[in-house]
Amino acid sequence: MTAAALELYRYRQLLLSLTWRDLRVRYKQTLLGMGWAVLLPLAMMLIFTFVFTRAVNVVGSMKLSMPYPLFAYLGLVPWAFFSTSLTGCVSSLVSNRNLVTKVNFPREVFPLSAIGSALADFAVAGSVLVGLTAYFHLTTEWSFSFHRSLLFVPVVILVQVVFTAGLGLLLAMGNLFYRDVRQVSGVAIQLWMFVTCVLYPLPQSGSLTARCLWLNPMTPIISAYRACIAEGRVPLNGHFAYAAVVAGLSLVVGWTCFRRWSHRFAECI
Amino acid sequence: MSELAVLFDGVSKRFRRGSGHDTLASLLGASVRRLVDRGGRPAARDTFWALDDVDFHVRPGEALGIIGPNGAGKSTALKVLAGILRPERGRVRIRGRLTALIEVGAGFHGDLTGRENIYLNGAILGMTRREVTAKLDTIIDFSGVGAFIDTPVKRYSTGMQARLGFSIAAHVSPDILLVDEVLSVGDAVFRVRCLDRMSELVNSGLTLIFVSHNLEQVRRVCPRTVVLEAGQVAFSGPTERAIEKYVEVLMRDRNGRGGDMCGQLVDGAAATKSRVLGVRFLDREGGEGVSVRADEPVDIEIRYRLPRAIPRLVVEVNMRRDFAQNVISLNSLRDGVTFAAGEGEGWAVVRLPSLPLAGGQYFWNVRLWDADGGTIEVDTLFEYPLVVNDGGRATGMLALERTWVVDRATVRQESEHRRIPAAL
Repeated sequence: MTAAALELYRYRQLLLSLTWRDLRVRYKQTLLGMGWAVLLPLAMMLIFTFVFTRAVNVVGSMKLSMPYPLFAYLGLVPWAFFSTSLTGCVSSLVSNRNLVTKVNFPREVFPLSAIGSALADFAVAGSVLVGLTAYFHLTTEWSFSFHRSLLFVPVVILVQVVFTAGLGLLLAMGNLFYRDVRQVSGVAIQLWMFVTCVLYPLPQSGSLTARCLWLNPMTPIISAYRACIAEGRVPLNGHFAYAAVVAGLSLVVGWTCFRRWSHRFAECI
Repeated sequence: MSELAVLFDGVSKRFRRGSGHDTLASLLGASVRRLVDRGGRPAARDTFWALDDVDFHVRPGEALGIIGPNGAGKSTALKVLAGILRPERGRVRIRGRLTALIEVGAGFHGDLTGRENIYLNGAILGMTRREVTAKLDTIIDFSGVGAFIDTPVKRYSTGMQARLGFSIAAHVSPDILLVDEVLSVGDAVFRVRCLDRMSELVNSGLTLIFVSHNLEQVRRVCPRTVVLEAGQVAFSGPTERAIEKYVEVLMRDRNGRGGDMCGQLVDGAAATKSRVLGVRFLDREGGEGVSVRADEPVDIEIRYRLPRAIPRLVVEVNMRRDFAQNVISLNSLRDGVTFAAGEGEGWAVVRLPSLPLAGGQYFWNVRLWDADGGTIEVDTLFEYPLVVNDGGRATGMLALERTWVVDRATVRQESEHRRIPAAL
């Protein structure tokens, strides 16, 4: 795997180029360009704020430590990063068929560049948080304070990227051999969101259901974003450590399988 | 052994026939069937060997051609060399940085501009951003795309895309360059520039492996050529002899398929149509070949079969170079000749005192007309080559008879090796 990593490092330029291509292509001939990366989660945030505060008022019972719109945005943006990455990964090999069958370089570059372009969107959408926190700091009794826990955000991002990469490599490869994977993963990602604390908090502990829900590594990851950005605490707890371990495993398994089968890609695609 | 740039040693590559399992459902179905059948492995008939124990090697700085009919394994061989496919048996050794140009502009994205695509394609071919920037102007100049460089590639013509693609690849500067059939696009002028560029690269020490159907291109660039036939090496040696061998293979291949000159397989229903059964090029001694000398007489014999009598049959023979315009068109009616042809098989011969064409590969076709109806009965494809040998004396189109006369200087006879090499 060290050799594989070194080889990948030699192709970092290509990884950047393909990431950049994905971004260019996604926002070419759009008026708003990367503004869309902000608008989509922002719109979702507004919709769910409306649903949960006006249509059915359940926000009160959620016992949130921050205003609901901020809570939702802090869930929606990392989730959008996760789901955009996976969706991009799934079709990354198949949609680059021409390159897979005609040029030789580490095939990991395709799913990884899908994650790369989603990461760029994530960064843009994340920057809006500055405005959002300022707004809620000034208009509500909730207050934001700079805390060292902000320095922990890159660690959370890293764990999420590692987890996504492992899964993405598997999905990209799976879809190359069996196109069912794309259909299945589309539904699965939708479902996954509802068992993750994206739009509402999950019970912390207690019942068996609660414990099962926390086995999903995305829940500790998203909670960790909220903890270190809005709650001012470093989420060094068992849940996050568990997520980090699962992320590492995901990458090792995903990458090993990917390397193991990549020589068959060109003829099976 | 160690000084070889490329070693291809006993390489075999197997492919599966049919589509395999594209969906999980079909995989499950097949697995269940396999369990029930106790069949174990997929049957041998489901697979075929695209390469079967293929050996060849290339020394550093050498240019090797690979030719062979469709499906002979040329592209598979290149993909194995490039590391895209892994062979089932044998080993491949590569010394140096290798770039495979299997498709020009693979990875071009229509929505990106020419300039953006140069950077992207450069990265795909293993160039750093700095390298591309350094060569950007040269690449744009060479491609001749010029003013359109900041236009999205989707608005380019196919030829422009191909030119841009080749320009990038031609400036990658690897140690070993694999080129697959990429020069079939682009106009004639650009193709010549590409060939010149490849020769230039080879002269500067690059190792080249060049796959092409265009024998003329191979002859220009590669002194040595491998002929592949059905996944095996049919010949390996000097290009001139390889080309003869290739045309032989092509003819055998055609006969083996039971096809006719129309490139169609003969079946029951088609027997009611007129057909060209065969065309032969004969010298005056009756020797038959697909290679003729430009300065010697040649007879072109056309054998045909008609489902009905045609009282005024017209025979036409056309020749082309590079699939472009006809170089020669011989039509019996224009010569004031028609044939009262009966039903069944027959033949016609057109006798030429010489075939004064510049040396190289030509493609011919035959047309049979019914002069009464003014209809074309048979129009074969420009699929089969004829190699004209003019002793390397002419380029261009024609090999005219000529002598040189000067005023004050003396005409000196140059020996063979002082002549301009064919690559120029």
